[in-house]
Amino acid sequence: MSDWSPLLAVFLVLPLTAAVLTPAVCRSSSTRGWAWTLVTMLVTSVIGGVLIARVATRGPFSYVVGGWTAPYGIELRFDEFSAVVAIICLLGVLAIVFSRRYAERALQAERIPYYYALLLLNLTGMLGFTVTGDLFNLFVFLEILSLSGYALVAISGEKIAEMAAFKYLVMGAISSLMVLFGTGMLYALTGSLNMADITSRLAGATQTPLIVALGAMTLGFMVKAALFPLHVWLPDAHAIAPSPVSAILSGLVVKVGIIGMLRLYQIAYGSGAVDLAGLNLVLTWLGALAIVMGAFFAVFQDDIKMMLAYSTISNIGYIVMGLGLASTYSVIGASVHVFNHALIKATLFLGAGALIHQTGKRTLTDLAGIGKAMPFTVAAISIGAISIVGIPPTAGFLCKWYIALGAMQAGHPFFGFALVFGALLIFIYYIRMVNAFYFREPRDRAAVDVQEAPATMLIPVLVLAILCLVMGVLGRLPLTFIEPAVERLLMPVGGG
Amino acid sequence: MDTEATRSLLPLLAFLLPMAGAVIAVPLQRASDQVRNLVLAAIAATVAVIAIVLGAGVASGSVYELFILQLTPQIWMYLRVDAMGALFGMTAAVLWTLALVYSWGYMHGEHRLGRYYSFFILCLAWTMGVAYAGNLLTFLIFYELFSILTYPLVVHEETPEAMAAGTKYIIYILVGGTLVLLAIVLTFFAAGDQTLTAGGILSAEIGSGRLLAIFWCFLIGFGVKAALVPLHGWVPDAHPAAPAPFSAVLSGVMVAAGSFGIMRVMFYVFGADLLGYLGVMRYLTWIAGFTVLFAAVLAVNQDNLKRRLAYSTISQMAYVVLGVSLLGTEATIGALVHITNHAFMKGALFLCAGLFIRRLGAARVSQLDGAAKRMPVTAAGFAIASLAMIGTPPLSGFVSKWYLGIGMLETGNPWLLAVLLGGALMAAVYLLPIVYRMYFREPVLTPEDKATAEGREAPGAMLAPLVVATILTFVLGLGASLPGMPVALARMAAESFFH
Repeated sequence: MSDWSPLLAVFLVLPLTAAVLTPAVCRSSSTRGWAWTLVTMLVTSVIGGVLIARVATRGPFSYVVGGWTAPYGIELRFDEFSAVVAIICLLGVLAIVFSRRYAERALQAERIPYYYALLLLNLTGMLGFTVTGDLFNLFVFLEILSLSGYALVAISGEKIAEMAAFKYLVMGAISSLMVLFGTGMLYALTGSLNMADITSRLAGATQTPLIVALGAMTLGFMVKAALFPLHVWLPDAHAIAPSPVSAILSGLVVKVGIIGMLRLYQIAYGSGAVDLAGLNLVLTWLGALAIVMGAFFAVFQDDIKMMLAYSTISNIGYIVMGLGLASTYSVIGASVHVFNHALIKATLFLGAGALIHQTGKRTLTDLAGIGKAMPFTVAAISIGAISIVGIPPTAGFLCKWYIALGAMQAGHPFFGFALVFGALLIFIYYIRMVNAFYFREPRDRAAVDVQEAPATMLIPVLVLAILCLVMGVLGRLPLTFIEPAVERLLMPVGGG
Repeated sequence: MDTEATRSLLPLLAFLLPMAGAVIAVPLQRASDQVRNLVLAAIAATVAVIAIVLGAGVASGSVYELFILQLTPQIWMYLRVDAMGALFGMTAAVLWTLALVYSWGYMHGEHRLGRYYSFFILCLAWTMGVAYAGNLLTFLIFYELFSILTYPLVVHEETPEAMAAGTKYIIYILVGGTLVLLAIVLTFFAAGDQTLTAGGILSAEIGSGRLLAIFWCFLIGFGVKAALVPLHGWVPDAHPAAPAPFSAVLSGVMVAAGSFGIMRVMFYVFGADLLGYLGVMRYLTWIAGFTVLFAAVLAVNQDNLKRRLAYSTISQMAYVVLGVSLLGTEATIGALVHITNHAFMKGALFLCAGLFIRRLGAARVSQLDGAAKRMPVTAAGFAIASLAMIGTPPLSGFVSKWYLGIGMLETGNPWLLAVLLGGALMAAVYLLPIVYRMYFREPVLTPEDKATAEGREAPGAMLAPLVVATILTFVLGLGASLPGMPVALARMAAESFFH
């Protein structure tokens, strides 16, 4: 095959079309909707696999939409950071598998087709966001995934879900506007929307508007990423959404802000037009604060999904701190954690979803002693817990190790210190959780006298738990991929 | 060390086998007790045989190594069996096998046995990994796993006391583990990923400020595990709360893993020369010396037998750190040998304590009056192990203390003999009254006890591990100078530290 790049367009058009058709396809039966989205996502995953194999062997490549060459047309660009589509596809497939039984119970029957449609739309938005080479296109995909996200949070139709979705919507809309505003300013400065083109034209641009533009976009992306103190929308939205959606929101959607940030860094570092040291310092500090504050809030939660939501805030803190430190090791750590945290948090949210589905309870107090009734699910959650606090050799350790090393490399050992002790704080509430599930007497025996979760729920959870272990041991795989990309990213600023 | 290393799969097997055992323990539990017991004991015994084979090989001059897998582009997971690791591995595997066999009787009828056995055998895997780790990150992986995954064993009883002890345990251990991680990150940043090498991997060029930071992070981190005062808080709570067979390995091997870590850091990361140059050893001597005496004094007042033994462990393990802090060959031999000797003495004592709890319902020293009449074999085992602990020749405790004493004189610290003998004296003060009570006091019996006053001795399956541990205290004492015994391995190791 000479030119594989049209596959990149198929990669987006296929799930997008399928998502729009979903309600029509499964009008009568929720099982048909499930199968339809699952097959779509599986095919998309296969295409994603091919694209990743290509970028691994031959490096980044582009597809020019409609034959209009960049910088005028829309360019889809697949580089090493785009390999994050692997995790988007994986979690997408598993969340859809998991949804089958979960949606039947948690949602009204007439909403189920829309649920699948929105889920698929959300995943497509993320796929598009990661592979686009055009800033305005980036904004469009950001809106697709954000709007479908708001709707997914509200889909259960309960009053509290609508409230959470509204809060999410207000914060999300403001942040999208910031991104659009920044995009507009960059367009005004350079006359281009193509990222590569902007990068080459930005040198020598007037500083003040450039800084305002980058600042606005950073702010927008950081709201999406829920960096402390811009996190207020996250706990409610993630805790109240249906569990498969929580897994997607917490594992992936917040990462969109991070990927956006990486794209922004590609432009800013690549052009060399602006010194980001000040911004990086702020991000590093906020990251450190987020780790501690996320852990602090989580300790006081009794609702397991609320706890997991606050844990996401801490983990975003890790990632942002890694980006802010801007040394090779720390950015590698941050990039790897985008991937690994998605795995871990999805394990935890889907596991929690299985517990809630089987027992109808969602607080630690009510779920005490559940370990005996649902041994596999709780074992998977425990693996997730060990993983997220970064016990070697699980997936979470790589991030801790690399960012701590990166802090030394950047000459800020204090942040390495903050990181490892922050992780300690995080461990406290995960111990509470594991203690409650395994070692505490049940408060109400009847409540935890339930069956193990059905196979469509258990299998995704177990697959993810195993991946949490495997990705720790085989950390080399994502790393060999990401290292050259990070080195290329930081080369202009002499990182390393 | 320039010895040609031989590639060998045995060290890998030494931790893969127990891992497999942990996986099958739960289904086996459902099948039948007998099958589970036999399979797990066979696994532990195989690991012990592997450890001994490796030990014998190392004693004859080989070094074994194995690259397992590449964790990151910079770091390999790498096993390397040298004299020090082989000795620790042998000790751990043999004591584990004894404690496992003992568990059959002790844990019979307890709840959640699948979980208990699974984690019990799993921790053997991690311990073997700690013993054979060939670089710091591999060490950290196994060390953290084995610290954290022992938690289910500490809280096994699920009583409020056990839960409180478990919380205390995990917090101490996690803070310690975090400091170790920090130290390893600092070391990696200063020296890269290097095979642990006798003589050290750090050099003075790094600057003494950073070297001191690395040293103290390591020392405090491992010091929590090694129970150096004031980092010892978890030990006296965790031991009484845990089931007796686990207490035995907790005291005999787990606490020793902290001392083992300190030794790895001292001789394989820093090296004796650099430590001498940094001048930090005298502080360590003081800390360890104080720990020996302080913990021994506290032990005297404990009425709970397992608690008293726990304080004794703190005191005895500080001997190890005291020995290595002198940076002399003989003292280091004494320290290494003491880890092994202490494991079996303290193991025996905890096995006795468990038997007293199970057969007499006596967890407190004051309940042991006349126990020798009712449980003659157990009482004899306790008495012998106590004498060994005090350092009576020809038992094993004497050997290690002899080398420690020689080492103190050799390095010009005769005043430390006061600590050495003071600790031994205090051991007599806290252990011999128990022996006296057992043999020379009349039992206080309730009427329903009277009918069964005699014949409370434990069944053979529980006594066997105790008898073996007791015999080992004789063998390790009487045969100390034979080739292939711990002293020979320890000498090999110590001589590689101080060329």
